[in-house]
Amino acid sequence: MFMGKEKLIPILAILILILGSGTTLYVHAAQNNTKSITVNEKTYTVDQIFFISQTRSFPSLDISGVALDDLLMKAGVTNPDQKTYTIIGADGYQKTVIWENIQNGLLTKDRQVYFSDLPKAFRIKDVITIEVR
Amino acid sequence: MEKKKLFAGILVFGSLWGFSECIIGSYLRDLGLPAGILMTAIFAIGLLTFSRIRYNQPGMQLGMGLVAGALRLANPFGGCFLCSAFAIMAEGALFELFFYLLSPKIQEKYTKTLQLGMGIIISYSVYVGGYMVTQILTPFVSSAGFYLENLVVFIPQMLASGLLAALIGGITVPAVITISSLELSLKDRNYYPATIGVAVLCWCLVIANTLLILA
Repeated sequence: MFMGKEKLIPILAILILILGSGTTLYVHAAQNNTKSITVNEKTYTVDQIFFISQTRSFPSLDISGVALDDLLMKAGVTNPDQKTYTIIGADGYQKTVIWENIQNGLLTKDRQVYFSDLPKAFRIKDVITIEVR
Repeated sequence: MEKKKLFAGILVFGSLWGFSECIIGSYLRDLGLPAGILMTAIFAIGLLTFSRIRYNQPGMQLGMGLVAGALRLANPFGGCFLCSAFAIMAEGALFELFFYLLSPKIQEKYTKTLQLGMGIIISYSVYVGGYMVTQILTPFVSSAGFYLENLVVFIPQMLASGLLAALIGGITVPAVITISSLELSLKDRNYYPATIGVAVLCWCLVIANTLLILA
């Protein structure tokens, strides 16, 4: 039994290092470097988004940006409270939220999304897409 | 082992872990370092391995995770405290499972190769597992809800993020097993005052830090 572990554990450790290295390479290759943001299938630059949308700030976090609810309305979303919103980052990280959360969310100039009513796990960096379903 | 002695061990090592997550973790995060990886691969794996080797009591590390997670909840600052608390508790449980599966039955048989392999496997599994648990539980307790597709598309990133933890764990575990084998012991009459004292100090410092930030 013990001899088995003595051989098995180094092999498993090597496989883990290969898995970690392989997925690291994959993640870097799959990184999306676009600077525009697609909102409800319409593509905007950050400057355009800041031009068309109302601003919002979270003084407690010392953060300001554009109001996500206003941005989505400007992007042509109808019946917003009956839809879900998936925010996707350049690294593939994504989170799905509801309209109530969107009303407490903002997008900063450096394309980061914050929600005042959700945990930090819902902060998404380098946003490239906001899908509406 | 005496139950009282084991309980005091859980309390002191769990408190040290929670204290390091709250105070040192926040400091590392402010420095822009990968705090989650460093905290897991050095502090968590170090304290969990040390306590497991010294006490050799299955279940102890699960208890340490609960104590450390509770301490993290007492300090709701420096990142997502809810995610961190879940991650810490999950890490304690995962360490318990993987250490049980990987460790040799005879304690003296920890060869260097085995220690290195165990460090890599345990550190990677504990970090990635803890990460996955938070990605599942945090949305569940939030108003947004949990969506499986959000977890599935992020699996490659989570697997990739564990690589550094695995490499550091490969150093931490052999180092801690070497330290654990040194003849360090406390006399019984000093054991309880020392363990309870350290645990109380950790909790006081974390709560004082919380109150200072609130003020």
